[in-house]
Amino acid sequence: MTAQALQIDRELERLDGLWEDGLQDTYRSYMDAVGAYEPAERPRLALAAALIESGLKLQGLGGRAAAAAPLLMGDLCLARASRLLAEHASQSLQVAFARAIETMSANAASGHNGGPVRDFLVLALENGR
Amino acid sequence: MIAQRLRFKTSSTTQFVDITDKLRQEVRRSGLRMGRIHLQSLHTTVGLAVNENEPLLLRDFESLLERLAPTEAGYEHDDFARRFEIALDEPVNGHAHCRQLLLTGFATLLVEDGDLVLGRWQSVFAVELDGPRTRELALQLDGDFEAGMEKLSSPIPSGVPMPVVRGGGAGMSGGSAQTRTAVDKELVEVELNRQLLADPDPVAVPMRRLVEAGGKRLRPRLVQLTAHVGPHHDPLRAAALAAAVELLHNATLIHDDYVDESTHRRGRPTVAAAEGPERAIAVGDFYFAKATRLIAEIGNNDVTSTIADALEAICAAQIDDVALRGAYPGNHESYLKVVRGKTAALFAASCAAGAQLSDATPDEVEALRRYGDLLGVAFQMADDMVDFSPSSGKPVGLDIRQRVLSLPLIYAAEDKEVGPEVRRLLAGSLGDAEVNRVTELVRSSDALKRVGDEARALVEGAVHELEAIELDGLRPTLVGLARSAVDRDS
Repeated sequence: MTAQALQIDRELERLDGLWEDGLQDTYRSYMDAVGAYEPAERPRLALAAALIESGLKLQGLGGRAAAAAPLLMGDLCLARASRLLAEHASQSLQVAFARAIETMSANAASGHNGGPVRDFLVLALENGR
Repeated sequence: MIAQRLRFKTSSTTQFVDITDKLRQEVRRSGLRMGRIHLQSLHTTVGLAVNENEPLLLRDFESLLERLAPTEAGYEHDDFARRFEIALDEPVNGHAHCRQLLLTGFATLLVEDGDLVLGRWQSVFAVELDGPRTRELALQLDGDFEAGMEKLSSPIPSGVPMPVVRGGGAGMSGGSAQTRTAVDKELVEVELNRQLLADPDPVAVPMRRLVEAGGKRLRPRLVQLTAHVGPHHDPLRAAALAAAVELLHNATLIHDDYVDESTHRRGRPTVAAAEGPERAIAVGDFYFAKATRLIAEIGNNDVTSTIADALEAICAAQIDDVALRGAYPGNHESYLKVVRGKTAALFAASCAAGAQLSDATPDEVEALRRYGDLLGVAFQMADDMVDFSPSSGKPVGLDIRQRVLSLPLIYAAEDKEVGPEVRRLLAGSLGDAEVNRVTELVRSSDALKRVGDEARALVEGAVHELEAIELDGLRPTLVGLARSAVDRDS
């Protein structure tokens, strides 16, 4: 097991099923977007972005509301991402991610489709550098 | 505007006379709510100072004055042969005049919410430099007075001996606890309103409805109180953090209400009930994100991590809570696990984060975190008891109906006499008749007494945590807040 895998493994408590169920692929897809960050920071930042994307999807933000169990799992994903960012990201990146979620949820509340979640989060990664 | 004279007698050559309490008394008597009190020494050998009332420090000040303008240095002012029209009792006091030059002869103090605005360690002194004598200060109070009070204000009695500071304690000279509470509450409400004004209506309107419906604001209160503990207290940053914590708490409630299918909170329809679950999810997410952003923008990594940890604990406990409903009513161990996460985590984090914001020591932060944790669990236990109180103003039996984890139910289900019937009823569908019967059985058992005793023991444990740290005048407020959290009926 690589150091990177160990790092990620520690952050997946209670989310194991989710990892197998698509979070892993989402995480890998964000590894390109974090290429401009320090190598040691990349796995956790990519995981934070993946958790936000998966969390919002689980909740059904902008679509049909999820049932209680997936909503709460989505909440846990957002909270885990928030904690990862608090511990490993700069203030500007924390703010950029938060602003991305604010924009997406305000759009959802207004009934507007603001575009794919990934676009917002990739932009946040760029803005937060 | 009110004009007054403050007379006092001094008893030694150099004396720092603490006039803070007298000024407070005059502000209260005048009815001045918001404005200023101007002070002016009417003597050339009496100065004014705002500093800490600590006896050894005052001795340092006295020594400093003596070093800068020594009594025996020889002053031209004291060479009476060269002066004209001097009184027969003209004192030898060149040093006192020179010392007064180092102080100030006038000062303006702010008054808010009917009390002086002073920092934690600030006291107001009239500094006698050539005593003992009878002295006089001119006071003017101006600003907004309570209706009719300005005319009723009576002059300060003259010749009243003033307290001498030597040997007096430093204490909480930064405004009374009552005043601080009022100012803090106002600050957090202003900050909440300010934040909501900036948000788009689809999210702001439902959140405003929830915020305006009230709530105890315990978590922001804990942030603001503990933000006084460390050496760097900034009321505006504390209010910003407190408001963010309240928004975060409300965001979790919005999602909880959807999960619990609650129709009302704080007497108003829940966001899910009024605007639908899609909107409730979006509003919860928006304020979750906004609150974490506001906290990040404060720029204190410890605070950010503390709140983030708590948020994760809340979400994990909420999952546990829903999972445990299959084994309703659960047991004491599972209850504590859920309550520690769902309720106590944010209480503990509020206490720790406030202290961290003020640069309190790690020991202080941890003691306050433990205080918050115990208080949070006790608070939830007291909240559970409200569900069985007909005088609480809340519908009795709501927790039972919604199968919410509740310690009185756990204890009643364990009871030898009523337990079997309670368990049987909870295992079936819960209509009005069943809910009423369960309520009756819980009341007839000693479950409520056991929960009350346990909650009070936790509060005493929380109070005990405060003993190890220096809290100055905050202790009574924190103790009172803890005790009132369990001795309530609503």
